[in-house]
Amino acid sequence: MPLFIFKMKAFTKSELKQFDGKDNKPILIGYKGYVYDVSGSFLWKNGKHQALHSAGLDLTEDLKSAPHGEEFIKKFPVVGYLKEDKKQ
Amino acid sequence: MAKVAREMVERSGVDVEKLLELLTKNAAAELTTYYYYTILRTNLIGMEGETLKEIAEVARIEDRNHFEALVPRIYELGGKLPYNMNDFHDISACPPASLPENPTAEEILKVLVDAERCAVRGYTQICNMTFGKDHRTYDLALAILNEEIEHESWFSEFLGEGPSGHFMRRGESSPFVSKFLK
Repeated sequence: MPLFIFKMKAFTKSELKQFDGKDNKPILIGYKGYVYDVSGSFLWKNGKHQALHSAGLDLTEDLKSAPHGEEFIKKFPVVGYLKEDKKQ
Repeated sequence: MAKVAREMVERSGVDVEKLLELLTKNAAAELTTYYYYTILRTNLIGMEGETLKEIAEVARIEDRNHFEALVPRIYELGGKLPYNMNDFHDISACPPASLPENPTAEEILKVLVDAERCAVRGYTQICNMTFGKDHRTYDLALAILNEEIEHESWFSEFLGEGPSGHFMRRGESSPFVSKFLK
């Protein structure tokens, strides 16, 4: 991972889950280790995308079956990176 | 609602509620595109714009036809359209095809081709979701997809991305979708 990640916020999957776009919360998604802010996207209104995808989740696997490539995610600002949840 | 028709789709493993949401969002995209294309077509003026006006008009009319063809399938499967037009606009599967700030023929073409590409992605997804499972929705989505791909190729040709490979319509519209409109 590049050095600049040290200045970014780290999100566990459970922390990311809080940013699902409900109640006017920011709309964040995870992709390949990074967290993207898609709040400004018309296609992510209310934290849902094309009826099939929800914000607050790591969508790396979902993108493999999507009808578009990662360029549609990478145009949004990166606001953090994903880290593992603490083990119980 | 076509009760048994919906049951068959459910039994094949399709999540009908998700499918209905996708169909409704794409119907919203078609009707809003019909509206926005009216403005785009009107602003295709001058030497370059006039060349494109007829193609934009065909795409506009065919997008309205797509809306008309999608609505019966939504109701057959037990769905419904939003009662509020504002809500309908805001759930669109594609962003508004708004008139660009600098409405040259080239800038308008970019808006048109982006809108068509969004539609191509949307109907490809519906085809993938229904192939071999929901035959009627697949048939409809495939017919619409055929026309959206032609729209994309017409516009992209004018952007210098290479030949479309075919002529524009000759007198008729919606050669693929018209069977759903009779």
